[in-house]
This record gives sequence, C-alpha cells and structure tokens, in this order.
Amino acid sequence: MIGVVRSELLRLRRRSVLIGWFGLVVVFAVLINFVMFNVVDESGAAPADGPGVSFPSAAALLSPDGIVAGLGAAASFFGVITLAFWALAAASDYSTGLVRILVAAEPRRGRLLMGKWIALALVTALTCVTALVVNVAVAPVAAQAGGFSPDAWGTDLLVVLAEATGHLYLSLLVWGSIGLALATLTRSAGVAIGVGVGYVLLVEAVISAVATDISDWLPGAILTALAQGGNEAVSLAAAASTGALYVVAALGAALFAFRSRDITD
Amino acid sequence: MVITTEALTRSFGTLVAVDGLDLELPAGGVVGLVGPNGSGKSTLIRMLLGLVAPSGGSATVLGRGIDDPTAYAAEVGALIEGPAFVPGLSARANLASLAALRGLPRSRVDEVLEVVGLAGRGNEPVRRFSLGMKQRLGIAAALLPDPALLILDEPTNGLDPAGIVEIRTLLRQLGSEGRTVVVSSHLMSEIETICTYVVVVRFGVLVFSGPMSELMRRATTSVAVAPEDASDRGALRDVLEGHGWSVSAEEPTLRVVAGEADAALINRQAAAAGITLSSLAVHRDSLEAVFLAMTGTDDGELADARGAALRGGVRREGVR
Repeated sequence: MIGVVRSELLRLRRRSVLIGWFGLVVVFAVLINFVMFNVVDESGAAPADGPGVSFPSAAALLSPDGIVAGLGAAASFFGVITLAFWALAAASDYSTGLVRILVAAEPRRGRLLMGKWIALALVTALTCVTALVVNVAVAPVAAQAGGFSPDAWGTDLLVVLAEATGHLYLSLLVWGSIGLALATLTRSAGVAIGVGVGYVLLVEAVISAVATDISDWLPGAILTALAQGGNEAVSLAAAASTGALYVVAALGAALFAFRSRDITD
Repeated sequence: MVITTEALTRSFGTLVAVDGLDLELPAGGVVGLVGPNGSGKSTLIRMLLGLVAPSGGSATVLGRGIDDPTAYAAEVGALIEGPAFVPGLSARANLASLAALRGLPRSRVDEVLEVVGLAGRGNEPVRRFSLGMKQRLGIAAALLPDPALLILDEPTNGLDPAGIVEIRTLLRQLGSEGRTVVVSSHLMSEIETICTYVVVVRFGVLVFSGPMSELMRRATTSVAVAPEDASDRGALRDVLEGHGWSVSAEEPTLRVVAGEADAALINRQAAAAGITLSSLAVHRDSLEAVFLAMTGTDDGELADARGAALRGGVRREGVR
C-alpha cells in the first residue's frame, strides 16, 4: 500500500495541480475573510447565506473562534475545490489512459483506489494547513477593516486552531470522497465537477429556498456544519456521522465500479 | 508455455471479440500477434493483463491463471494501445511513479531510460515529447520490472525510420535474452523482420499459430519470365504449359507457378525451344500477401464478412 500511495503522491506533484489547488485555497481564504467581516453587521444578526457561503453572527466573529470563522463560512467553497481536484486526479487516469498501465502493474484495484484516497487525503491535509495559515494571517486585517474589535481572539488559540483545522479537514475528506466516487463512476472530471459544483451552487440552493425544513440536512449544509464544528441546526456528532456515511457510500460505490468494470479506456 | 488459452471468449453485447480461442505460446523469442482491425488482439491482451474479464474459457500467463493477475503482474511489462503518461510530469518522474507502484528502486528508472535512448531527456515534461519519444518511454515503462514477459502493442508506432530500426534491434535483443516479447502489430514487415513465432487472429478466432518459418511455407512462389523477342511469348507459354506448369500472362512477362528450384529448368526449356529469355525472376509472396490470403484483402471486405458473420450468428472460422 505504501508503494501505491507514494506512486500517487509522485503523480500529484505536478505544478498545475499544486498551483491550482493551493492557489484557489489561498484566494478563497483571503476573499472570504474580507467579504465576511464586511457584510456581517457588528451589532446585528448573521446575514442571509449565499450559495456555498454560511455567514456567522457578529457574536461568533467576536468570540475566540472568530479568528477561524472564515474557514467555516467558506467551507462549501473549500469543499468544491477539494471535490474538483480529487475528481481530476481520478478522472485523469482515464483520460490519459494511465489507468490501464496502473491496473496492469497493480491488479488489486481496491488497493489502487484506497492508495489514491490516502494520497489525496494527505495533500488535502496540507491544503487545510495552508487555509488555516492564510486565514490566521488575513483575519485580523479583515476584521479591522470591517470595524470589528476582536479582543477575545487569542483565548485558547491553539485549541481553536486545531479544532477548526480538524473540522474543516473532516468535511473536505467527505467532499473529496464524493469527487473521487463521481469521477470513478463517470470516468470524467468534467462531469464529476459539473455535478458537484452544480449541486452545491444551484440544486441545494434551490432546495433550501423551497424546503426550509430539510435545508439544514442537505449534503452541503451538513458538511458546512461539520466544517464549523457543528452549528445551531446540526450538532457536530450528527454532522460527523452523516459525513462518515457519505464517505462509506461514496467509496463503496467507487470500489464496486472500479473493481467490477472492464478497463477499456 | 508462456501463455495458454483454452476456449477463451469475450463478448461485448452481440459482438464476440474473442471467440473460443485456443492458444499456446512457447517461452522465449519474439512472438508476433497479428490480425486485421477489430480482430480481437487488444481484447486478448487486456484479458491476459487483467484489464478485461473473460466471458468464458480460461487462460494462463507464466503458468498462472488470469483470474488472479496479481500472481504474475510483477513479471509482466506492457505497452497497451499506445503510451500513457501524466503530460505535466517529466519522463523520469512518470517512471519513478510507476517504479514506486511496483516497489522497484529508483535506480531502475535511469537504467530503462538508458535502454530506450532517453537518458538525456529524462527531466523534460512528457508533454514536450514527440510521439516517437513517448513510444520509447512507454517501452521503458514496460521494461521497468525487468519482465519475463513483455507485451507491446504497436511498439514502433510514430517512430522515424532510424527509431524503428533501433527499437526492432532492441526487441530482438530482449527476445534473445530468454524473455518472451509479444508484439502486436499491423506492420507485416515488422512482424516478418523481428518475430520468430507468429499468431494470426481474425474475428477473435485463431487462424494460425506457429513458427514464422511454418507460416512462410504457405507463401506461393512463382517465376516471372520474359522472352527477348515479344513475338515468342505464345510459343514460350506453350512450351512451359507443355511441361505441366501453370502459366498466366502478365504483360510483358509470363508468370509461372513454380518453385525457386525450377527456375533453371524453365530457362533450359526455353533455350531448348530456341527462345532467349531477357529476364527471369523468382517471386515469393511476402508475409503481407500470406496474411491477406488468410484474413481478407481489405477493411471493406473484412467489415462485410464480419457483418455477415454477425447477421448469421457468429461462426467459427477454420482454425489452422
């Protein structure tokens, strides 16, 4: 298994993946902080959520967790980025024809898929740390620009940072697993990313607008709740267990398809 | 035997790509796998490598069943339907990734790059490579595990003439080192030049399997003769037919169905009849002619025949 993971990591080291993936994470970490501290009124309630964005209240921003609130607010965006790059990593094996070389060299297809999952999970961990570092660097500046006085920031700072990173990481593993499964099932990065992004930005937004009683339990909302460490609507435990179910279902479907289908690409 | 198949079959819907194939390939040397487009070569290779599951029958590779390709994957290298790499990575990084997957040392990468003549280009991104260079890299990837069995699909595709000669030399060398090299190709000249054993398939059915020399015994030989005086053509034809040879007119020569050993006798008979020959040439069918005689003359004919076979229910062609 170590060889499979190493092999996958070597293929992920290409410049286009690293610049694209980490670059987007940095851009969104910066953007969300400035947008969030600008649109949230220091004296009022949280503004309405936008597609893929869940704004916290002013009280939450002023709390010790406020320094990492951007990670939770843009969790769906980070999720979509993760879904896209996991899908690209899986689908490019089909588009380049590499999958036939890989399977001929390592016929244990389950091991190949799990090795890819582990390698992508390792890179995702690095993107989480990157998002955290950027967020921590940008949040004080953005807060000041937005008129916030985050005096409480710094209390239990290491715990706050570790929890925020851990929660975001768990949610991204679910997003990534869904991307990996979609790409394995469709053998197309375009279709997989289209389905993922279309769902979060369009389908879930529409369903949330017309069926408010279930809106908190839709996949995007659940994974945002997981990234936020739980929220008023969904507890961390409920979000984590639902996320785990998504991972099991996604990997189960991907494993079944990858192991049972012919490699004709 | 390095590869055996017994009634190996693979269907895709109503299309039978490989139809009850019985095959035994001896170990060592270069084996040519030839057949027209859609004859089932790629499907056969994919089944042997564990990429496609058979619909029926069984097969072994290096003595182990294809139901568990893990048992022999470490001893098999393959180039399947063209080279496949991550374009944004260097040649060396691509090979390093495949070496890691197989648990091979990094040093093996430089060794195979050297073998295929890409040692000086190893750090360039594969996207900058020509098709020929990618083809060499594909062969390098197949050589990574130092395989006992090397399966190469169209290995000289995209190479320039010098590159083709170089790769053919390499394949012959690899085949002479004790390993078995299976080359799937449409180029009859390639098969004729480098293969010691040949397998011909058509419509997924084995048409011929045996040493190249045995296949070439199927080639017909003829002698083309031309009299110095064109007005002697009729008389010459009468003389040759009078001695029992079958003769056909192919302006400006006469084609005599006869072996190479008969050339001198033909010359003597013509001289005895007072006819001077201006030319006498022995013609032997190429492998291409033998192949086409067995499999069909062109794609259109093959397509028609295949369509007829499918309309009438897939039938088996005579084996051997």
